[in-house]
Amino acid sequence: MNTSERTPLRAIATSLGSPAGRALVALLLVLVLGGVVNAEGACFKLGPHRGMLRQAAVCGIRACGMTLVIITGGIDLAVGSVLALVAVSFSLMTIHWAWSAWLAAPLALAIGAACGGVSGTLAARLRLQPFIATLAMMVFARGMAKWVSGGQKISTAVQNADGTYRYVDVPGVFRAIDSRIFGDNLSVVTLIFLACAALTWIALARHRWGRELYAIGGNEEAARLSGVPVVWAKTLAYVVCGVLVAVAGICQAAQEQQGDPEAGMGYELTAIAIVVIGGTNLMGGRGGIGLTLIGTLTIGYLDKILSVNAVPEAGRLVLTGIIIVAAVLTQKRRRW
Amino acid sequence: MVRRHFTFLWILAIALFVGCSSGDKDATRAAGKARDFYTIGMSQCNLGEPWRVQMNADLKAAADKHPNIEIVFKDAQNDTLKQRAHVEEFVSAGVDLLIISPKEAAPLTEPVAKAVDAGIPVIVLDRAVQGDNYTCFIGADNKLIGKAAGAWLAKKLGDKGKVVELKGLMTSIPGHDRHSGFLEGIAGSGLEVIFEADMKWLEPDARKEMDSALARFDTIDAVYAHNDPGAHGAYLAAKAAGREKDIVFVGIDALPQEGVAYVAQGILSATFQYPTGGAEAIDTALRILAGEEVPKKIVLGSRLFTADNVKQGGEPL
Repeated sequence: MNTSERTPLRAIATSLGSPAGRALVALLLVLVLGGVVNAEGACFKLGPHRGMLRQAAVCGIRACGMTLVIITGGIDLAVGSVLALVAVSFSLMTIHWAWSAWLAAPLALAIGAACGGVSGTLAARLRLQPFIATLAMMVFARGMAKWVSGGQKISTAVQNADGTYRYVDVPGVFRAIDSRIFGDNLSVVTLIFLACAALTWIALARHRWGRELYAIGGNEEAARLSGVPVVWAKTLAYVVCGVLVAVAGICQAAQEQQGDPEAGMGYELTAIAIVVIGGTNLMGGRGGIGLTLIGTLTIGYLDKILSVNAVPEAGRLVLTGIIIVAAVLTQKRRRW
Repeated sequence: MVRRHFTFLWILAIALFVGCSSGDKDATRAAGKARDFYTIGMSQCNLGEPWRVQMNADLKAAADKHPNIEIVFKDAQNDTLKQRAHVEEFVSAGVDLLIISPKEAAPLTEPVAKAVDAGIPVIVLDRAVQGDNYTCFIGADNKLIGKAAGAWLAKKLGDKGKVVELKGLMTSIPGHDRHSGFLEGIAGSGLEVIFEADMKWLEPDARKEMDSALARFDTIDAVYAHNDPGAHGAYLAAKAAGREKDIVFVGIDALPQEGVAYVAQGILSATFQYPTGGAEAIDTALRILAGEEVPKKIVLGSRLFTADNVKQGGEPL
């Protein structure tokens, strides 16, 4: 009789103890914060939530890629600058050269895959520290982005040979990606994010390759000995991360209506923060896309709440730091 | 196996490096044999900013009109110590004149003074150095531009309205001056700043902040952004909310491919030029090299671009 009374409580306690439960607690805390400091009720309107889902989408896509790499025990510091390189190349192809999106998008994804492939090869086959390999790629891709763009933003103002400018239309694909559906309520980029998350989730949770990534992150040597194709699986993680970053780059370009070679500064850190707040272990072997999804919402809402309340920049940075630590502390496995 | 890969990579890296560094500069320099040929060194603090890319382009365009000068560019990539080293390199290379757009005043004051002591005239562009040990300062006044923007907006809105201010980096002097100037400009009018946020000169951040402002306030009459990309980001946010027609967007900088293009496309109502001074710097350099007296300080005027005058190249303030 006693046990039957305690069962629901125990069920809650157990679920709170799981990583997903703890990630939800962190999200809930941020939402409560939004409910308390609600900017004269603005937080209870639809607008901020809609805006948050749009803004968090591009961060979320990057974080999905980062999750794959982090589960192998690696890290990808190049996500920000590869994003800039893809955004610049995609804008160049669609705006300046007026190529069809059906041609430009696969090429842009290929650029992302190539960058990921190089990082992956350096990290997996040549056994460089992922930190070093992707640090090199981060610098390299930023340089390429500046080189390809000539240091200027690639926008709808196209420079003629004589130095004057002519203005072209924003390509249809930019408008399509930056539009909203379902009665103006859901951004297309949010849908793209959800699609990316679903695909990565299937790969990670339902596919052999995903299992192999967990095995590598858990114990690389053991994985190798039990017949996991370590080099191949690991390289592929960086390649897929590169492709996802390329998707994020295309979305970024579409939302800015231009390719900015300086875009994505510091984005690698946001991506890592999202993954870690979700509860994926930085040492590899544990975590998942579901957690990253929750992490995306946590960081997205935090950002939005601070912005709607017009908190000055200094206060924002301080608060974000504190809240990240608090969120990660609630993640920590401990004895009650 | 792994080691062999590394050797290959090293050889590749060195080959690339050597390949990049041997340029065509030597050929041009060899042509300048007589004293009627001058080399000008230009130390730029950060080519990561489009406005500074434009400054270099303006300098180069002006210099190209004069076959007797060659201009050598160095980019300090937003690093004060690197810029200091660049100035010292120019001095020891014995350039005939130095143009510097310093990152910070204090740390670059001494290198500039040393160049002057070594007999090299120095033109300081855009940001100042401390003291007066330089030949000529050329720059615009952010505070005046901010004030003009405020006054223009007050007139445009008929002395009443709610304004969103999207600020540049408030720890930077231009951000600070464009803010305080604007407040001076709208002082006494019925304009009220209802929402202000630091967008760090970045377009995606401006769009994000504007999203928040739109969610919070049902009436917004104008957006004043400290740069044109900021105003453009705000426009995109308002457009997504279907409110862009009710709002007047004003930006600063008026680069041809940014602000001026946005005004021509009907996105911004106005942009105020923050001139790079590139052409003026080359003019002044030629006068100094010809031995003429030049003023110690040249304040550049700004131009206002609106839909009415953008085809004619704007009008001076």
